[in-house]
Amino acid sequence: MTAREQLATRPRIQPRRAAAPPAPPPRRRPNHAAAVLVTPYVLLLLVGGIIPVGYAVVKSLQNESETGFGGLSSYARVTADFRFVETFTNVALVLCVWLPVMLTTVVILALLIDASSRRFGATMRFVYYLPGSLAGIANFMLWLFLLNPGQSPVDFLWDGFGYTSLNEVAQPDNLPFILAAMLFFQGAGTWIIVLCGGLNGIPDELLEAARVDGATARAVVWHVKLPMLRPWLGYMTLLNLAYGFQLFLEPQVLSQVTHGLISPQWTPNQLSFTYAYQILDTPAAAAMSVILLLVTLSLGLLVIHRSRLFQDER
Amino acid sequence: MLSPHLGRIGRTATLLLFAAVFGYPLLAYLAVAFRGGDGADSAVALGNAVATWQSILAFNDGTFLQWLTNSIIVASVGSVVAVVAALPAGYALARLRFRGRRLLRFLTLLTMVVPNTVLVIPIYLEVSAVGAVNNLWVVGLLMGFFPFGVYLAYIHFKTTLPTPIVESARLDGLTDVQTFFTIALPISKQAVALVGFFSFVANWTNFFLPMVLLPLSTSTTVSVGLQQLVSSSPLFDPTTAAGLDVRLYAPHLALATLVTTLPVLVVFVLAQRYLIRGQTLGAVKG
Repeated sequence: MTAREQLATRPRIQPRRAAAPPAPPPRRRPNHAAAVLVTPYVLLLLVGGIIPVGYAVVKSLQNESETGFGGLSSYARVTADFRFVETFTNVALVLCVWLPVMLTTVVILALLIDASSRRFGATMRFVYYLPGSLAGIANFMLWLFLLNPGQSPVDFLWDGFGYTSLNEVAQPDNLPFILAAMLFFQGAGTWIIVLCGGLNGIPDELLEAARVDGATARAVVWHVKLPMLRPWLGYMTLLNLAYGFQLFLEPQVLSQVTHGLISPQWTPNQLSFTYAYQILDTPAAAAMSVILLLVTLSLGLLVIHRSRLFQDER
Repeated sequence: MLSPHLGRIGRTATLLLFAAVFGYPLLAYLAVAFRGGDGADSAVALGNAVATWQSILAFNDGTFLQWLTNSIIVASVGSVVAVVAALPAGYALARLRFRGRRLLRFLTLLTMVVPNTVLVIPIYLEVSAVGAVNNLWVVGLLMGFFPFGVYLAYIHFKTTLPTPIVESARLDGLTDVQTFFTIALPISKQAVALVGFFSFVANWTNFFLPMVLLPLSTSTTVSVGLQQLVSSSPLFDPTTAAGLDVRLYAPHLALATLVTTLPVLVVFVLAQRYLIRGQTLGAVKG
């Protein structure tokens, strides 16, 4: 399907180039029409993206009392904060646990579903997706219940570790694992659907050809299916790397229910929030957001640059 | 190599094991919502849920319903705005040539892959600079900025709208705007459903933005409200909870959570036939 559509869109380009003379008139018109069609979105992009980022950059260059230019002083304040480096290592820890587990499990499950009968596979895919419908705070509420010994349906696990209270389960050393588990539980299903879509898109002729050539099922997985999934996996890794830096809700509420056993400034976003809402140091909050933006924007650029998904046709 | 038969048993067993890993906690949580009292050692019964629901409603004079209403307003406004903005923009990006097209597409992709919470504090600074904090409509409008929706619409128009149709419309003398409204839009129900669904779910589950932009406990959305329920529960804060008339235990928290996810499920069912087809997902494959 995709190949055919690419073929369908491609020839369009060449005749246009060949027929250069009549090009100018139709060009004027689309310009005008495009402006009409694009305006609502551009306005939203300005209000919801560009202006806030620009404003944050400006704010971050103000001095602490917001009365004048402060150079990079707010950046100095934030980076000198004893929690600054820690917030990033915390995120890195979560990513180290979460990403490898997530990637391997998701690939294995997608391949297994792909090899199963249509109906059974679809049912399993649906079950895996279910926790994804409990996104955000709802997923967290479920986990609060799972993590609380005494009421948890996985109490046998906590028994095994000898934990008897939420504060013992959710101790700081365990937090990367807990957050990784929460993210996995919530996100794996969506990625399984994405990968199954990718596997479905492999042309039947290709699989048939491999079979005719005498390839075993295992060889088909290694030499046909996994290479086909590779762009998706790169995309998924980078996107989820960026996602790790946005962590806010889970550590924030965990900190609340454990009464500060978990630091309320566990992730970069929480530190930024603390500067904005509690310390009321707006330039520092802005500086922290700008730093976070730089990190995630560079990851975002990598996604766009590396991933074949977004490759432009010209 | 294992025999195909053994392979199939292993495969099925693995898939079922993971189905249990994903499904069991959900079922257990569902069951808690139907237990009575504080949830310990009580049987599952529908009557329990009714009583539990009444205590949730009694919490702070029905503030839970207010939160739900706020969420519905914010999420619906956000997804309508997203659809209205994303479809024409996606069409223009996919089908028209204009100055700034590449830049716009680049910014769309960039804002799409950057997690939206990193923009929350900058947005808060912007909104508080113009004094619009605690305004549901502002939050709804801001949620309407949904670059992923533009990307979906872009893919949609790029792959499912046959070029000959567009070309013949042009020959018939239709302007590009007319072509969009009379030809492209009517065959784009799927794109509308996709953008609307993804945007609604994203808005509904958004936590950080409403938490920061709607700090008053009555004007906030249900996702932030749930957190307030947690912090008022004797399970996690006995001292605060002791001062409250309504005691919120595990069944209350579970039921409130489940009620909160219902709108997402409803929207999912409505949009399902467009989602499952997975055309869009298949179409983006490189």
